[in-house]
Amino acid sequence: MIEFKDLSLVYPNGTQGLKNVNVKINEGEFVVIVGLSGAGKSTFIRSINRMVTPTHGELLVDDENILKYKGNDLRKLRTKVGMIFQNYNLVKRSTVMKNVISGRLGHTGTLRSILNLYKKEDMALAYESLKRVNIEEKLYSRADQLSGGQQQRVSIARVLTQQPSVVLADEPVASLDPPTSHQVMKYLKKINREDNITTIVNLHFIDMAMEYADRIIGMRSGEIVFDGPASEVNEKTFEEIYGRPIKEDDIRGGKDDNEQTP
Amino acid sequence: MNKPLNTNVPTGLVSGKAKLRMNLIMLVVLGLYIFSSVMTNSSVLRFNAEFFENVWVMVVQLFPPNWAYAGVVWGKLMETVKMALIATTIAGLLCIPFSLLAANNIVHNKFLYNFTKMFLNIMRTIPELILAVVFVGLFGIGVFSGILALIIFSLGILAKLISETIEAIDMNPLEAIRASGGNTLQVIWYAVVPQVLPQFVSFTLYVFEINVRASVVLGFVGAGGIGLILRQQINFLSYQNVSTIIVITFVVVVIIDYISNKLRGRLV
Repeated sequence: MIEFKDLSLVYPNGTQGLKNVNVKINEGEFVVIVGLSGAGKSTFIRSINRMVTPTHGELLVDDENILKYKGNDLRKLRTKVGMIFQNYNLVKRSTVMKNVISGRLGHTGTLRSILNLYKKEDMALAYESLKRVNIEEKLYSRADQLSGGQQQRVSIARVLTQQPSVVLADEPVASLDPPTSHQVMKYLKKINREDNITTIVNLHFIDMAMEYADRIIGMRSGEIVFDGPASEVNEKTFEEIYGRPIKEDDIRGGKDDNEQTP
Repeated sequence: MNKPLNTNVPTGLVSGKAKLRMNLIMLVVLGLYIFSSVMTNSSVLRFNAEFFENVWVMVVQLFPPNWAYAGVVWGKLMETVKMALIATTIAGLLCIPFSLLAANNIVHNKFLYNFTKMFLNIMRTIPELILAVVFVGLFGIGVFSGILALIIFSLGILAKLISETIEAIDMNPLEAIRASGGNTLQVIWYAVVPQVLPQFVSFTLYVFEINVRASVVLGFVGAGGIGLILRQQINFLSYQNVSTIIVITFVVVVIIDYISNKLRGRLV
């Protein structure tokens, strides 16, 4: 369980990233955070694995306030909380396998990881994760030889290899075309269901949010302005969250794709 | 249409005052050139009949090269190449921590970063010849002193080039490795090293080329290698041996540069 208690974050340049956020996210939930760019979605997500550090309040992950974490504790938190990025953030010159096994780094000693002496189970787990996103045949390809959708799948495999209890996804489909976007969202939904991994996704496409989320949290200028089940949400809700009429750019479309999906 | 020109029409592109100033500056610079030329007794007039006579005398003395001497040259030249090889390898290893510490996207501690940068700058400003003189004084004449001088000389160059490469890498993979729980060493090994490895190899080969050429000169101050016999033979006035040295060194350096260039072209 993740609990934000009166959490605020002010960046050194004075920008308020989060403003008195109070929210509880339950285990196994698929939450989509929506809001315009600059609304604080990224700050919200990155607070949970402490890629940014909130300045006020408390943030509980499994009943522990993670704001005090340093060094070892922080690394342990990050092995528990996996992250997926808009630009996939793979090491482009490394093989797919090396990228995926790097999900085990938090569980592997420095010397072992530098000498590539991974345990058999870890190698098996990495391969299994690649299979789950149907990209195992690219095992030894270099990451930069893959398409955007394939790279994002590899980054999902990397997170799976981490065996996290929480997955954070920061605009995972913003750089992809509509059919590939749906494919990636379906994989995220699948692992959320199969492994009971709490999944928090930042999106700004309203149709995707409504289709995949269990629960939608709306943000505007660092504050939560909406929080409710996806079934209660309609276009009107989004207009309130965004503070303006819905535009074409807010809709991803391409739902009836004929690409092969899980 | 054909009215006389208005007196307000500008007469040039810059003001008269600026023009005068430019001309004065030019005169001063020209004066400096003439002064330096006279003081150093260097002018085109030196390329006179006497000069061409000297060229002829020299060419006659140098030719034909004494090929019987080639065996000695070859041995010493290999010593030079070995010096460069050892020095480049050790500098290549040593530069890794230095280049990481001198990259501001890896080290956020301003003091440590500036200190490393300053240290590397100082190392780069010392000419390798002076380093060689110092080490010859400390360890005596020989290859070892030359190797030490080359290590310090190339460490400064390599660490600068590589730290600048590190500063230009894509930071996103670093974020991902950190977010999956990797510690600093793991972040470096998994996200930094793969991104700079091609440039690292390329720069190291380049520094090897520089070191081969530099170590030729180092022998002049007693730091081993081909330079040692080059100076010796010049002092003995045995110019035919000197020309053997020059020809063989030239050929070997060109071959090494060629191979190294080809290899570097394949990288990156």
